[in-house]
Amino acid sequence: MRLIPVICLVLLCSPTRPDELPDWSGVWQRVEGNAGMFDVSTTVPPDGRAGSPGVRQHPPLTDEWEAKYRANLDLVARDRLPDPISRCGTPAGFPRMLALPDVYEFIVRPEQTWIITENGPNILRIYTDGRKHPPPSDLWPTFTGDSVGWWNGQVLEFTTVAMIGEAQTVLDRSGLTLSDQATVETKMYLTDGGLLRAELVIKDPLVLTEPWYVTRHFRRMPPGTKAYDYACAENNRNPITGTGQTLTLDTDGRVIDKVIENE
Amino acid sequence: MNRNACLCLLLLFLTPVVVAHHSFAMFDSDRFVETEATVVEFQWTNPHVWIEIMVTDDTETANQWSIEGGGKNTLFRSGWRPNTFEPGDVISIRYHPMHDGSHAGGFIGARFPDGSTIGRWDE
Repeated sequence: MRLIPVICLVLLCSPTRPDELPDWSGVWQRVEGNAGMFDVSTTVPPDGRAGSPGVRQHPPLTDEWEAKYRANLDLVARDRLPDPISRCGTPAGFPRMLALPDVYEFIVRPEQTWIITENGPNILRIYTDGRKHPPPSDLWPTFTGDSVGWWNGQVLEFTTVAMIGEAQTVLDRSGLTLSDQATVETKMYLTDGGLLRAELVIKDPLVLTEPWYVTRHFRRMPPGTKAYDYACAENNRNPITGTGQTLTLDTDGRVIDKVIENE
Repeated sequence: MNRNACLCLLLLFLTPVVVAHHSFAMFDSDRFVETEATVVEFQWTNPHVWIEIMVTDDTETANQWSIEGGGKNTLFRSGWRPNTFEPGDVISIRYHPMHDGSHAGGFIGARFPDGSTIGRWDE
């Protein structure tokens, strides 16, 4: 009888069996568009596109971060906000990677789930093997952070910490950022309509006055749809100057633009 | 060849056709240009495809223009192929011009001699 609690504990900690996991196979595409606006539900105007002057979203920002966001919105209006991913090779990071163009793959195993974005490089590794986040001594900010979670029936629940934040990422081209103190609690599951839904609760003591709730959806593409490598540096003819101006190069690498802002 | 027409229609083609890995603010999304052109080269590459075209201007001078499209992966899934444009093809092409008037543009759509189109053309 004394072994029963131990057996129950072992069963509870065991990875879910493969045949108990949901079918997230295939290739998926984001549903919410707006050119990558992260929180479409609070985007103003509602059809506004990330990177267009005057388009913003309304998370519950602290005064300090509202001022930072407005400063970046001013840069957007002058086309001088450099997007880190435009440099090619820099990941969008988490959670922005849930709002990218091109396609997604969600690879589910009992011990781990991988979210792979075609528009990369981005791979989110979500460990569901019972491990905890590493201790602070073994943790440093990275683009995708550290994600651990579990399966609650057909729902993948995970927490992400140690994201690099404003140092090298933005949430979208409107210039919104988080700090490296952010945590994201995510639930992902298939809806009755066949969409893959991600519910995010974002907390950040520096950026947010209260939890920020963001929902993203993905639609499965027709069977047989392939994902390809992206190789952003293959032919990047749009370098960015030190002042954030995006240039255009001709086929010989010469700058086409007639007006180049002094750096 | 020489009918470079700046149509300046505010109700059509206001939105850039591509979702880019970089800002497309250098292009004037409030205007589009339609012109006849001869394809010089089609760069089927990431992060974006490029259509190099030769356009003859009002002074009968031929200039090369660089027209930037979207990423090839998503374009492939919407019907584009590596040989969608071949050197020597004579096409009609629509693009958002650069604000500063330089010889580049953001692709909107193209029509081929057989009447087929790609991108946004019939809107």
